[in-house]
Amino acid sequence: MIGGPRVRSIILLAGLVTPVALRAQAVQNATLRRAQQAYDNLEYRQVLTLAQAALRERLTGPERARAYELLGFTFGAMDSILKAVDAFKQVVLIDPERQLDPNRVSPKAYSAFDVALRQVLLVRQLRVDSTSFVGGQGAVPIRFTVTQPARVVTRAVGSDGSFLIDSSAWNGQVNLRWPARLANGDPVPAGSYTVVVDARLGQNAFSASQPVRLSHGLVDTLSHLTSLPGYQYLPETEVPPQSWRPLGLAFLYTGGAIVGTLGLESSSLGSGSKRELAVVGGAALITGFVMTLRKPAPRPAEANILYNRLLRDQIARRNQEITKENIARRQQVQLTIVPLPKPAAGGVR
Amino acid sequence: MRATACVVALLGLARGGARAQQIAIGPQAVLASYREVVSGLRYAGIGFGGTMSLRFHKLSAEAAVTRVKLDTADGSAAAQGFTATQVDAWVAYDVAPYASVEAGVIRRTADPELDAQSVGAVRIGARSFYEIGPGAMVTFRANYLAAPKFSGGGRAPFSLDLGLGLDVRLAGRLHGTAAYAFQRINRKTDPSGTGEIDVPIQETVARLGLSLAF
Repeated sequence: MIGGPRVRSIILLAGLVTPVALRAQAVQNATLRRAQQAYDNLEYRQVLTLAQAALRERLTGPERARAYELLGFTFGAMDSILKAVDAFKQVVLIDPERQLDPNRVSPKAYSAFDVALRQVLLVRQLRVDSTSFVGGQGAVPIRFTVTQPARVVTRAVGSDGSFLIDSSAWNGQVNLRWPARLANGDPVPAGSYTVVVDARLGQNAFSASQPVRLSHGLVDTLSHLTSLPGYQYLPETEVPPQSWRPLGLAFLYTGGAIVGTLGLESSSLGSGSKRELAVVGGAALITGFVMTLRKPAPRPAEANILYNRLLRDQIARRNQEITKENIARRQQVQLTIVPLPKPAAGGVR
Repeated sequence: MRATACVVALLGLARGGARAQQIAIGPQAVLASYREVVSGLRYAGIGFGGTMSLRFHKLSAEAAVTRVKLDTADGSAAAQGFTATQVDAWVAYDVAPYASVEAGVIRRTADPELDAQSVGAVRIGARSFYEIGPGAMVTFRANYLAAPKFSGGGRAPFSLDLGLGLDVRLAGRLHGTAAYAFQRINRKTDPSGTGEIDVPIQETVARLGLSLAF
């Protein structure tokens, strides 16, 4: 069992210092390194002295952000929340994308960081998603967060000019959609653009940007149909079941000839020869008998023929629509937008 | 020469057409019995002939030519036989899947000319046909013989011709054909001007043969 207040304090402190310790490797400034070591040793007074001394020295942007972050954590640990908030304000002004992991920092420090964020006008987490759509039938999703209520102007700036995407008052999470079209409906020219978000609140202003590449392509055309999914052509002939029908019909036709002959024979001429009738009638009956034994001939299946005709009509109609659609598609442009790596973070103007 | 060219042209037409277009042609052996005037005047014989048929969708045509040497039958009062040459022709139009109306002509001549009546008439009638199996067709025909003309004069207010036919595809384009025809002509004459007398004519013919269909 892990127990005792001392052990729990060590675990908590280890969690508290981990984000700072992870970043300590890149620190070049000796004073800042000493401040980091003091923080690791929980020597908060010394941290304050060394971090403030480091800030008076020549530091890189990340080192300066780290110095303020150490101050924020230390003031948080010393219950100086207002000072912690001030220190974290400096952090996010230097690095607006800075995030704290609520699972790895103390609640005091995290809440101070959160308050700091809401007291500074920032545009954070600007994201332009990769997308591809037919010009006029889609839009580019743009997301960002504004930390204070502000007038936000979003533009796409390229070599061919600047295109206004949105101009509104926003606060918090913002989701915009840019159709990438000119005023006349044509797609914007292909090339590299920078999506720039300018937020202004009184005298305060902040700008964030994200470069993107916009390319033009041909719209995929549809292939013609040879069948409809779920529908299949049916056989247009069917073999009727074997029956005595052929022999019956042969009897019927031969019987007609016999009856007709006997009925029409002239009484004055007497009964004539029946050998001609016997020969042909016999042949008909034998043929009928043979056909009765044989597999019947396939016959047209009218219902299936009608069904197939309907199916063919449907496919032809759909193919006509596809042809028209393809003509339209060949005149359309497929827009593909890919975000590019950011050259640098935004900053205060 | 011209007839040969016509046949070749027709065969070419049939080959190029769809299944609804067909030409069949072939020779036939003929059995015939013939009675005239009274029961004692009767003949029977065998002969040969040929038939040709065309079909174009619902329209069809058929022609048969036979030449039969009719000899006096046993117990006949006739002194000698004669040779009968008969030409039959029909044009038909299908009015239903199993029936058609038809019209045509019949012409039968006797040689020697005075030994039997030569007859010519117009045929008007109907025909029923049914495919009783793969490639096997039976037909039944009833024709009224209108406006008959006789070499010996006279008239025939009632004349009928009944027929039974069979066409069986034997192999490929080769067909076997059989046709039976019974003809009754109620001829009346007034040879002495004292009043009409009945001089009926009755003939039965069986034609058996082969044909090639294209």
